[in-house]
Amino acid sequence: MNKKHRMFIRMVMASLLRRRSRMIVALLAIVVGATILSGLGMIYYDVPRQMSAQFRSYGANVILTPSDGTALKDSAVNQSMAFFPSEQLEGYTPYRYENTKLHNLPVTLAGTDFASVLKTSPYWHIAGTLPNQNGQTLVGKHIAEQFGLRVGDSLEPINSFEVTEDMDVTALLPEEVYTDPATGERYCDHILSLTVAGILETGGSEEDYIYVTLSDLKDFTLTDRGYDIVEVSAAAREDALKGYLTAINQQVSGVSAKVVKRVTASESTVLSKLESLVLIVTIVVLALTMICVATTMMAVITERRREIGLRKALGALDSSIVAEFLSEGLVLGGIGGLIGSILGYLFADVVSMNVFSSAITFRPLLLPITIVVSVVVTGLACLIPIRSAVDVDPALVLKGE
Amino acid sequence: MSLLELKDISKIYGNLHALDHVNLTVDQGEWIAIMGPSGSGKSTMMNIISCMDKPTTGQVIFDGRDITKDSRRKLTEFHRDKIGLVFQQFHLINYLNAVENVMVAQYYHSMPDEKEALEALERVGLKDRAKHLPSQLSGGEQQRVCIARALINSPSLILADEPTGNLDEANENIVLDLFRQLHKEGTSLIVVTHDPEVGEVAQRIVRLEHGKIASDKKNEQFAE
Amino acid sequence: MFFRMITGAFRRQWKKMLMIAMTVALGASIATAMLNVMLSVGDKINEELKAYGSNITVVPRSEAVISHLYDVDETEEQAEYLPEETLGEFLTIFWANNIVDFTPLLDTPATVNGQEVPVVGAWFDHHLAFVKKGTTYERNTGIINLRSWWDITDGTWLDEAKLKGDRYAMVGQKLAATLSLKAGDTFTVATDHGTETLTVTGIFESGDDEEGMLFTTLSTAQRLTGAEGQYKKAEVSAITSPDDELAVKAAKNPDLLTGDEYDLWYCTAYVSSICFQIQEAIPQASASAVRQIADSEGKILEKTELLMALITLMSLIGATLGISNLVTSGVMERSAELALMKAVGAKNGQITRLILTEIILTALVGAAVGYFMGYAFAQIIGQRVFSSSIEMSGMVAFLVTILVIAVTLVGSLPAVRMILRLRPSEVLHGGH
Repeated sequence: MNKKHRMFIRMVMASLLRRRSRMIVALLAIVVGATILSGLGMIYYDVPRQMSAQFRSYGANVILTPSDGTALKDSAVNQSMAFFPSEQLEGYTPYRYENTKLHNLPVTLAGTDFASVLKTSPYWHIAGTLPNQNGQTLVGKHIAEQFGLRVGDSLEPINSFEVTEDMDVTALLPEEVYTDPATGERYCDHILSLTVAGILETGGSEEDYIYVTLSDLKDFTLTDRGYDIVEVSAAAREDALKGYLTAINQQVSGVSAKVVKRVTASESTVLSKLESLVLIVTIVVLALTMICVATTMMAVITERRREIGLRKALGALDSSIVAEFLSEGLVLGGIGGLIGSILGYLFADVVSMNVFSSAITFRPLLLPITIVVSVVVTGLACLIPIRSAVDVDPALVLKGE
Repeated sequence: MSLLELKDISKIYGNLHALDHVNLTVDQGEWIAIMGPSGSGKSTMMNIISCMDKPTTGQVIFDGRDITKDSRRKLTEFHRDKIGLVFQQFHLINYLNAVENVMVAQYYHSMPDEKEALEALERVGLKDRAKHLPSQLSGGEQQRVCIARALINSPSLILADEPTGNLDEANENIVLDLFRQLHKEGTSLIVVTHDPEVGEVAQRIVRLEHGKIASDKKNEQFAE
Repeated sequence: MFFRMITGAFRRQWKKMLMIAMTVALGASIATAMLNVMLSVGDKINEELKAYGSNITVVPRSEAVISHLYDVDETEEQAEYLPEETLGEFLTIFWANNIVDFTPLLDTPATVNGQEVPVVGAWFDHHLAFVKKGTTYERNTGIINLRSWWDITDGTWLDEAKLKGDRYAMVGQKLAATLSLKAGDTFTVATDHGTETLTVTGIFESGDDEEGMLFTTLSTAQRLTGAEGQYKKAEVSAITSPDDELAVKAAKNPDLLTGDEYDLWYCTAYVSSICFQIQEAIPQASASAVRQIADSEGKILEKTELLMALITLMSLIGATLGISNLVTSGVMERSAELALMKAVGAKNGQITRLILTEIILTALVGAAVGYFMGYAFAQIIGQRVFSSSIEMSGMVAFLVTILVIAVTLVGSLPAVRMILRLRPSEVLHGGH
């Protein structure tokens, strides 16, 4: 049988290599099909992850608040953050609010970490710059309008309080502390000198605050009681988030973690639409492409009816003709599938880099799937015309024009 | 003993009697030309002899065996063992070179053997063109490859359908010389043709007209 | 004669022609479906993004400057209101069709059982009919659609159309817990301006501060506030185009735009131009974008559109290659016939013209069929994903036709070149 196998391979290879232009036509069709299969496949699998990151532009989707009505400590915050997988955690920002007075009018100071604030509130529009050191402030647009503040202006909120026995006011300037001559009680008008680094526009309630650094706020109030709220932005789906939060609420004492429903619920709705859009588009395009591949293969085989007739006239059994043509098709399908799956990956990567500016996740499983699908589609597409060609009377084919 | 016997063969397509109660006996080693105008039933007869078609009525006895009742598969096996075909359009596989085209016939028959195939090409005088593709060969050369392919499995009968129809005179002579040589070696030959020059070199000439044998006689000019 | 040869070719070659037409149809249907989906995906996703709620807030103009002075101490507030009639103006602006939903809001502190409770009056699913210059504008709108993320944990949404009168309320989960209220309960709410007995229709979970609030109908809130016929703030949800350079420039100051730029800006649904138009229609109001929503929308739309554009491009390349491939092999197959024509003295030009006419006619038939198949695919995609039909753009039909003709011509090129080089004797002798 050895010689027979060798002849078989020789014939198949001769057909593939010497009928180059025709084989290229067929191969090209398969490569296109396989490219679309693996490319769209990878995009489909990666879209939720990539789009989910895009949805982080809505900002925080989780908030931590103190469960006991006091404040959040650093230790509790760090403990909570450990529950989020680091690749999903975009960032978190602590906030501490204190009411005070500016020009004798009530205002709210918000202490925050300016280094991370744009991670959880990427939509902040800042005229000027974000404060990057103590003594600088970001002023909400309403406040700025109300007090006529512009970038570079200075403002001095004053914290007035009665100095009690246990207070250490040695760090304060002498002129800030005074004693009421009538009662002998000591008072303090602690001044925080700030320069406006930027004006904040959000269209929301943030415009009513004066943002300062946490350490400025600590110096200003002479206390470090912790945070009122911590905003967290995590690139995870609603279900996963809820899982993390349940764990945090159970295991971290003093913390109440909640999803921002407005963000998470809406994200789920829109993402699931997007996913099904890409899925159905993938299916439609794939189905059509596969039909295209099949018609091309059919055309290529149909062309060779006469050759099939000749082989029959030479005494070939139907089964051996089918085997020969099918193996040709399968070799083509395999090669086309391999090339196509690699091209598809490259294409998906180009799409991902262009749209999301990040590389696509390579799905190794798609490689064998693409090759198998290409081989199966090509095989089926070959089988139909071969079968009908084999059924034809060789005498007719050989005589026919 | 006769090699082939057609007994009262008819082939009917609808109303058309392509062959009408034909009787013909071919002896071992005979060289017969079947002649006649278009539509006289030559091709039908050829297809029936080559086992590629079955008669509507009648019997085909090949080597003492009635093959009209055989299954398709049996017929295919019988056909590839006993008959070598030569075509007007050569029908070489265009992506296989000369020797490979010969080997294809071996492949379907029994076992491909490149040495034997080269010997067959040598017999038709094409040993040095063995690695050429059909597109690199002249018409005459292609026909000789076709003859080598027909010979390779040592068939009982070579059946040639208008073997010179696409050839110029020089090539026609080469092919006819080959036939003479085969005849000398004892191969049975049936040549279907409408070309008198090809027909009249055969040992016996059968003329068909309207599906019937009009004449069947020894060729007096036949040079042994 | 030319015509006869062509019809002859169709009669003899109909199977092959059919195959070519079919492939062209498939390719054209991919192109049609994908282009149409691509062109409308922005609008569709935009509608989906409305789930995030309003992207524009409208407040009285003066309030933007001073009302927050007293934000902390509500009792001293010198509230400024907008008249309720101005709400109808939203339906009259240039981009009125892009305004999906809006609701007026009127909040006031009140007490329930001696406990401080923030009360908010709003439209739930209000039927608004507004007559201006003889034209009647109608719309059902309210916070039902602007709070898509609310989960009703008990009872139902407050249905203005079905319920009698306006003394109803929806209570946030947290507040409901402290007041021990559930759906169907009645309670009394009091302010300086009077008391109202309200029935709870539903309890909601919202995941934000609103869980501590009480929502009631606008008219009830107006009575509690003593501000009949007025509201304090409106939330507007509009479909907008992502901001680009022009929008950024206009946002700084529309007066700095050139005339053409201004027209373009005004007639594009930027969030800033819609805000501007609202202020034109309601001079006493100030409209501003909610950055969290407006910006993110823009980003996501842009990404989705780019993604679809690239997927479309890929499908187009696939379809193009598929078509040209089959056209090439289809024409090549007929080399024998064409060589024969050459042998009987046909000129290269004649053969080429014949072949191209045939193939383009076939392709156009295929393209027409493909266009309708593509239409069907686009509708399937639209219905399955967005539960709405996808608008077919005339431009796409034109584009697909051009594409098919170009691809067919390019696909025929190698075959035509081969024909021109063909020596008839070779083909007729080659046998294959």
